[in-house]
Amino acid sequence: MTSRFVGYFKRLGEDLRRDWQLYLLVLPMILWFLLFLYKPMEGLQIAFKDFSPFRGISGSPWVGLENFQTLLEDQIFIRAFLNTIAISGLGLIFAFPVPIILAVMFNELQNEFGRRVSQTIVYLPHFISVVIVAGIVINLLSPTTGVVNLILSSLGLDRIYFLTQPEWFRTIFIGSNIWKEAGFESIVYLAAIAGISPTLYESARVDGASRWQMMWRITLPCILPTIIIMLIIRIGNLVEVGFEYIILLYQPATYRTADVVSTYVYRTGLQGTQYDLATAAGLFNAVIAFALVFTANRISRKVSSTSLW
Amino acid sequence: MSAVELNDVVKRYGALEVVHSVNLNVATGEFIVLVGPSGCGKSTTLRMIAGLEEISDGTISIGGRVVNRMAPKDRDVAMVFQNYALYPHLNVAENIAFGLRVRREKNEVVEAAVNEAATILDLTPYLKRKPADLSGGQRQRVAMGRAIVRKPKVFLFDEPLSNLDAKLRTQMRAEIKRLHKRMGVTSIYVTHDQVEAMTLADRIVVMNAGRVEQVGSPMELFLNPANAFVASFLGSPPMNLLRATVTSLNGEPAARIDGVHTDAIELKLPVSFVASLEADQRILVGVRPEHFSIGPEAGAQGQPIAATVDLVEPLGSEALLHSRIAGQPIVAKLETPADVRKLSEIGELKIPTDRLHVFDAASGKAVSGHA
Amino acid sequence: MRYFRKMLALLTTCAVLQTGAAYAQDASTKIVDKPLQLTIHFHFRDKYVYTENWPVEKKAAEWTGIHVKNVASLATSSSRDAFNLLMASGNLPDIVGGDVTGGLKDDFIRYGMEGAFVPLDGLIEKNAPNLKKFFDEHPVVRQAISAPDGHIYFIPYVPEGEFSRAWFIRKDWLDKLGLKVPENVAELYAVLKAFREKDPNGNGKKDEVPYFAREPIEAVRLINMWDARVSGSERYGDFMVESGKVVHPWTTPNYKTGISKIAQWFKEGLIDTEVFTRGARVREYMLGNNIGGMTHDWFASTSNYTEALKDTVSGINFAPMLPPKTVSGKRFEDSRRATFQPAGWAISYSNKHPVETIKYFDFWFSEKGRILSNWGVEGETYDMINGKPVYKPSVLNNPKPVNAQMWEIGAGVPRGYFASYPSEEQWTNKMALDGIAMYQKEPSLLMPEFTGVSMNTEERATYDKYWPSLFTYMMEMQQTWVLGAQNVDASWDAYQARLEQLGYSKVMKVMQAAYDRQYGKN
Repeated sequence: MTSRFVGYFKRLGEDLRRDWQLYLLVLPMILWFLLFLYKPMEGLQIAFKDFSPFRGISGSPWVGLENFQTLLEDQIFIRAFLNTIAISGLGLIFAFPVPIILAVMFNELQNEFGRRVSQTIVYLPHFISVVIVAGIVINLLSPTTGVVNLILSSLGLDRIYFLTQPEWFRTIFIGSNIWKEAGFESIVYLAAIAGISPTLYESARVDGASRWQMMWRITLPCILPTIIIMLIIRIGNLVEVGFEYIILLYQPATYRTADVVSTYVYRTGLQGTQYDLATAAGLFNAVIAFALVFTANRISRKVSSTSLW
Repeated sequence: MSAVELNDVVKRYGALEVVHSVNLNVATGEFIVLVGPSGCGKSTTLRMIAGLEEISDGTISIGGRVVNRMAPKDRDVAMVFQNYALYPHLNVAENIAFGLRVRREKNEVVEAAVNEAATILDLTPYLKRKPADLSGGQRQRVAMGRAIVRKPKVFLFDEPLSNLDAKLRTQMRAEIKRLHKRMGVTSIYVTHDQVEAMTLADRIVVMNAGRVEQVGSPMELFLNPANAFVASFLGSPPMNLLRATVTSLNGEPAARIDGVHTDAIELKLPVSFVASLEADQRILVGVRPEHFSIGPEAGAQGQPIAATVDLVEPLGSEALLHSRIAGQPIVAKLETPADVRKLSEIGELKIPTDRLHVFDAASGKAVSGHA
Repeated sequence: MRYFRKMLALLTTCAVLQTGAAYAQDASTKIVDKPLQLTIHFHFRDKYVYTENWPVEKKAAEWTGIHVKNVASLATSSSRDAFNLLMASGNLPDIVGGDVTGGLKDDFIRYGMEGAFVPLDGLIEKNAPNLKKFFDEHPVVRQAISAPDGHIYFIPYVPEGEFSRAWFIRKDWLDKLGLKVPENVAELYAVLKAFREKDPNGNGKKDEVPYFAREPIEAVRLINMWDARVSGSERYGDFMVESGKVVHPWTTPNYKTGISKIAQWFKEGLIDTEVFTRGARVREYMLGNNIGGMTHDWFASTSNYTEALKDTVSGINFAPMLPPKTVSGKRFEDSRRATFQPAGWAISYSNKHPVETIKYFDFWFSEKGRILSNWGVEGETYDMINGKPVYKPSVLNNPKPVNAQMWEIGAGVPRGYFASYPSEEQWTNKMALDGIAMYQKEPSLLMPEFTGVSMNTEERATYDKYWPSLFTYMMEMQQTWVLGAQNVDASWDAYQARLEQLGYSKVMKVMQAAYDRQYGKN
């Protein structure tokens, strides 16, 4: 056993001497990982401690799994967790395909100028800050002056105070997120489409495929590996919903569907500076996210032979 | 009736004309090879026939129908691409079946067609493999299989063998030839390789700078090149062209070969050319490498002419002599004597007068043919 | 030391008798003979730090001999983060203070008990006559800032004055519709209904919003009409004390009645339909567009609108009115100025000059220090007229608000100091002053304030475990009811049960225990 290790380190030493330029190139990345990703993991301890910033990490007493117990006994946390899954899950179903569809549509646009203009138009919302997006959404959906309600009432329908109705929150949140991000996310798929050899299309044209058939039989299958990678990454973020935008849009009235783990942590942290509890919630999330990514990757590797690692 | 007919076909990209008024009649069942250096417009012409490029002017008919504005799929042609254009996500069978599937053929029809094509192409053991798991030759065969199952009026090949190594290329060349014999489908084949052109074609179309230089059977073109370009393009190694001026030698036509850093050399020309030559006309004298000979002992005929040998490349039974005549570089192909080293000591080569070609230097046109 | 105290006592007397002359005696304020420098970490309101270049601070240094040097970095835009980072570093300067989101009171107490800050009570007793006097005169403040171990760990910023907010109504609309200022719930309902129905702005459209609100705390303020309270303090949704018992106002029977009534009013359009999403600029919107009828908001800032909008909204008279009598015939004002603010400063364990530091803290509670901390530097921002500080006209006429001008020179910043209401009065407009006078004239409009409790570790653990989720649920149900998504009567029992399930009585138990310890039974 030990001789194998010795052998390994001997070989490593030889490799280092021979290819030191290559190792030098990778060094900054290794340092970056160690310093900014592994070093802070030390702080994860506080999830298992009764943490006081003044006492410090080592000075705070261990409490075992008490923080996790507190979380899991808290129905509001459980609800926030389920909401997180629901919002990302629905986002996955409804928002994930949109950039793909957009990219395919852009690909089908023949007019170069028209394509540039429309691409730019759909990219733009990505660069608007969430604060402004939230403002736009609130204005659009205002029950008195909002365009949506003006249309509803001119159609003879009842006005709806969308932002206070829990049933509408997910639709609004996911919908406006699609509006904001789909265009930008389509870039990755457009790049993948650009990588498809044009002769595949020419060959298909000669063989008699319609544009529709080419889209289904060539474009989509050829970008499938990209789609799967993006999907795995997305699944990894299933337990992650950014809190800024939620905080801007939600109301106590919509907590039932809108309160997610990050907003829960935000409120908890603000109320009692409960870093230990917040860290426990974060760790809980991370473990689940890891399990999800791991499983998704496994399944993908088996089924489609595409995988992250 | 001609299977494919091109009348004054022109291709322009904006103001740039890349194919100038091409005319071509392809008979049913004929194997036509378009050959020429890269950028000569041969691929563009093929793509216009396929419908992948629009025609700027002129007409193209396939099977008697004008197809100028017709979509590729309605032209009843099948095309094989240089990089095979196989769908990476489909296996061999599905790739071959693609053209039938998109036309919504019945399953039995598709399967039968795929199996038939696979048998013809020896692909049966590979039907379930993905293109990534195939060798270059196998991929090429799949690409052909995809064309075969369509049973089109015309096969179009766009440099299908360029991506293969020399040995496979020879093998696939024979295979294509066999396939054509067996199926008898009109084929138009684009290549830049004159060997492929010579071996495959019923007729060769030599193209240069967007124009058709000459159309004819391989041997016609080889024996009677219409111009210096065709002459220098076909044959391996190509014909030697010596710059010269027409003179008269004792009343018989002769050429004074320009000396480069050395004296000019007089060379007799066939008497039959006399009518088409003018005094002091600038010409190119063409000699095929294999027409050179040495020494009297081999029963060689022709006029001896001083030559210096730079380099000898033995190819086995034959050897290439890179030499100079009046300072102009030429290549001669000779039988290898017992002692190769002797070749480097040669001081003169014999040129058979009656096998000389003469081209007008200004126009490149052949001055006179060998009937 | 005795000499010093005597001297100060003497000075205070002098100040009463003959203000001005006493201030000439600089020697009395000197704390140290040789200038002493103390370090301070003081990040406040997310964008300022303590500055030794403030004219006020320079003057204080000149008078006391103590120079305070800031070590807080302006690199962060969160005072809360700055404070937490400092605590985590463990490397504390002589003085730690500030004003951060969520308040620093609990932090001062918690870290004080952990040893980060020194207990001040002994130091005050021996060295700080002004502070001692202040605490003697304001026992509630002393109780409120005391830690569970009985010690005081920080000196707070103490505001002065009674009323903060008031009911405002469009008196011109009342006149137009021939109505009088509503005196009770029935009249209030009639007035709001009339605002809604009778087109008081005269534009022919029913676009009037009878009641609107700027802050979450004001959205449901109308529950006061049914004797229910929104909060026991200026904080949103705080606890309250009723005859010695700590309760949360949102669990009482009155709250149930109030919330169901205002749900009804909301449905009838008497309350802004967008009250929960309107945002901070609602007053500008409602009053500027001539559609808002009534609100509950700050005296001073709300009084400015009538003046500011008189050219654009003709006849506008948005004036304070007394709280209408509740259903039980009482009249009360739910809000009031906080007795103290959870901001201020403390002495850290590493401070080598605690005595000098407490004297420095004490200086700001002296008459001289108090004027300096409220009015700025004499001759520059104020003059003494008839023994009283009066802002210079240049300050009062400056287009910048007076408080903003004061912040720039280091006055009115949330150090441990005692704010002076007269300094505010001088730049408050007449409408607000009249309104305040009207409120003050009514006997006992003010409700008792819940000044918070200091929990020990176990109590804190229980509170932290249950309270955030409880409060989340309460806010959620409040809006759900107001918006009419659920019927109050039908869901009240379930609400109570759910609160219980979420740990309400556990929280109340520790709150009560802490309260009893801190303020004594009864």
